[in-house]
Amino acid sequence: MLALIQNVAARPSGAIGLTLTLCHVLMAVLAPWLAPYDPTMQNADAILLAPSSTHWMGTDTLGRDVFSRVIYGGRLAIAVTFAAAVVATLWGGFAGIFFGTVGGRVDEYAMRIVDAFLSVPWLLFLLLIISIGGAGPVTIIPTLGFFYGVAVLRVVRGAAMQVAARDFITAAKARGEKLWPIITREMFPNLSDILLVEGAMRWSWMLLAFSSLSFLGFGATPPTPDWGLMVAQERGLLSTAPWGVFWPCLALSSLIIGINLLADAVGKALGLDRATAIAV
Amino acid sequence: MKKSLLLSAAIAVLGAAAPAETLRIPHELGYGGSESMDPISPQRFYEAIQNVYSRLVRQGDDGRPSADLALSWEATPDAREWTFNLRPDVTFHNANAFTAEDVAFSLMRTQSEAIDSPTKGVMEVIDRVEVIDPLTVKVVLKQSHADFPLLVMDYRIRMLDAETCGNDLDALCESGVGTGPFQMVDFDPLGTTTFTRFDNYYGGTVGTENLELIAIADQDARVAALQAGQIDFIYALSAEQVPLFANNPNFTVQSVPTGRWVGLVMNTQIEPLNDPRVRKAIRMSADRDALGKLVYGKDGYITSCDHPVWSGDQYRAEIDCPRDIEGAKALLAEAGYADGLTVELFVSDISEGAVKMAEVLQNQAKDAGITIELVPAPADGYWGDVWMKEPFFATGWSQRPADQILNEAYRSSATWNETAWTSPDFDAKLDAARSELDFDKRKALYGELQKELWENGGSFIPVHLNTVRAFSAKLSGVQPVEDFSIRYEGIAKSGSDS
Repeated sequence: MLALIQNVAARPSGAIGLTLTLCHVLMAVLAPWLAPYDPTMQNADAILLAPSSTHWMGTDTLGRDVFSRVIYGGRLAIAVTFAAAVVATLWGGFAGIFFGTVGGRVDEYAMRIVDAFLSVPWLLFLLLIISIGGAGPVTIIPTLGFFYGVAVLRVVRGAAMQVAARDFITAAKARGEKLWPIITREMFPNLSDILLVEGAMRWSWMLLAFSSLSFLGFGATPPTPDWGLMVAQERGLLSTAPWGVFWPCLALSSLIIGINLLADAVGKALGLDRATAIAV
Repeated sequence: MKKSLLLSAAIAVLGAAAPAETLRIPHELGYGGSESMDPISPQRFYEAIQNVYSRLVRQGDDGRPSADLALSWEATPDAREWTFNLRPDVTFHNANAFTAEDVAFSLMRTQSEAIDSPTKGVMEVIDRVEVIDPLTVKVVLKQSHADFPLLVMDYRIRMLDAETCGNDLDALCESGVGTGPFQMVDFDPLGTTTFTRFDNYYGGTVGTENLELIAIADQDARVAALQAGQIDFIYALSAEQVPLFANNPNFTVQSVPTGRWVGLVMNTQIEPLNDPRVRKAIRMSADRDALGKLVYGKDGYITSCDHPVWSGDQYRAEIDCPRDIEGAKALLAEAGYADGLTVELFVSDISEGAVKMAEVLQNQAKDAGITIELVPAPADGYWGDVWMKEPFFATGWSQRPADQILNEAYRSSATWNETAWTSPDFDAKLDAARSELDFDKRKALYGELQKELWENGGSFIPVHLNTVRAFSAKLSGVQPVEDFSIRYEGIAKSGSDS
């Protein structure tokens, strides 16, 4: 693992990605100690102040410190989407390995169902589920996990089919090994690198999805400091108080770019080509 | 000959090229496309009805009743019979003559059980309407009402063509045929509803050739549309939106003190809000002045103590309502919530500052141990799906006279009794107030009603708003009056839309 981290950090993109991601994670964890103000503290005498030495990133329409809110703003998004990425990778990865190993008609039928889900406009479907089940993490984590898991399934299944065609799998079948041991002992170790990269990639996309939900009013609820919600609340003031939108956008995009660069570097370090997502 | 032909052709071309002035106004799509052209329907499309239909009496510049389709009116000494003298030579858009029969029809249908109009609670004071002659009508009331003209000044009490409506008092009439300055061309509440000027309008020449009502549900989108020149006018600017237009020569900003309010509503019949101590604790936890400053800016509001009657109304009661956290905690403890209370509040961007108001109250109430969980709801369809459906939700009301708002929103039988306020004593006092012919006594009764709402009611009305609107500098004739009193027929527009 240490060797992998060293390999990733040795690549320019990996170093940038690792730094950005770590910074954001640390910022989220250490927010109570880093933020100069309570992120929900309203101040009628400090509405829409421009960035200054007192408020480094200015204040919003309720006089709250934007810097403090940006620091806190990633906490919920990172936690919820990381959990959802784990869910997506686990179920999508397992199902992908299973269908890639089994093949045949079962695989064919399953892939048609997967195709059907991939053709659904996921954001609308997501909004439908959340409007029924509520906007809390209890609904959002499994919903995001399910939808992004479908795409993981597709990618992992393709890679699993190639692994399943190798001689050592044929040999294992010839030895009379059952399906479950083949999946866990033979297939999984040979696909774990793809799962890792896929998980990281889906995490970054989920961050964008979660922020979109917050922007639309279905993710974080006021007064939670959240980047998507901050953009939604201040978007009408772009021409007079752009700092309310600029800083949360910068925070969100830098984290997404960081995770993408990190995933890219991890893939290269593991000998994966992300364009095809199979071992090279 | 050739020269005159060329000249004629040039004039024809220039005439064809000259754009007809179109006044383009947004509407909030508050009923999600179910907007009705019947003025007394609960889903009334008010931006449309105020331009298509006329009232008997309209609000004058001083806020008092002034002539519209009725030129004058007088009452018997006991104020039980009111005679209205109608304007002669008025025609509907379909060329039918406007007569006293139409007035009788339009007033009596407000009491229909089948229609169940929000105006029913206010207008059920009418016993019958007698047609004296084609231009004279007498309204006989069930009880004395010293301010009856204020009731018929309601923005929904519009005069319909009885014949077009089939003389059916119990059916909605969505014909769009009125005597107003604009006649409807195309009804499309989800898109653009279009109107053209009514050449026989009794009020004189209408300022623009056409009127368009364009559905834009989101306030930020409306602001963007005005900036982009896609519309000409927007209502209800927030304090932060004002600078977008204030120093721009292409726009005019108008600020008008009004009785308009945005508030929060607690259903008085649903736990835990059915306990008046809980409701009062929530209200006492608010610092209204700080809330007003945060949400509407320091010049955008006048504080209120949850009484719906605004400071410009002669019947406004004087109530003091300072923030009292200890008092709120004591009330909560008495009600069995010594360890704190958690309630859900449904909010949407339906009126200026509604979401921010909820956020500020949420922040202030936590000092009293009250946790308010905000539940965002979509703006389009809010009035049909959330309003009066949830236990705690946001609302918005335009300016109304004291008697009207107290009857329309707090009488037990009122259709828009949004707090589900049920009190026979309150109803009896409402009757007594409107029947009282002595002004001082009447004012005292209306004052007692407002104090009762502060003590036990379900409304949280922290401030009354200065309504701020912005419009294109191409417009002239926009009067500085509250929204329901704007005379769109008097607005002219210069230049083309490009």
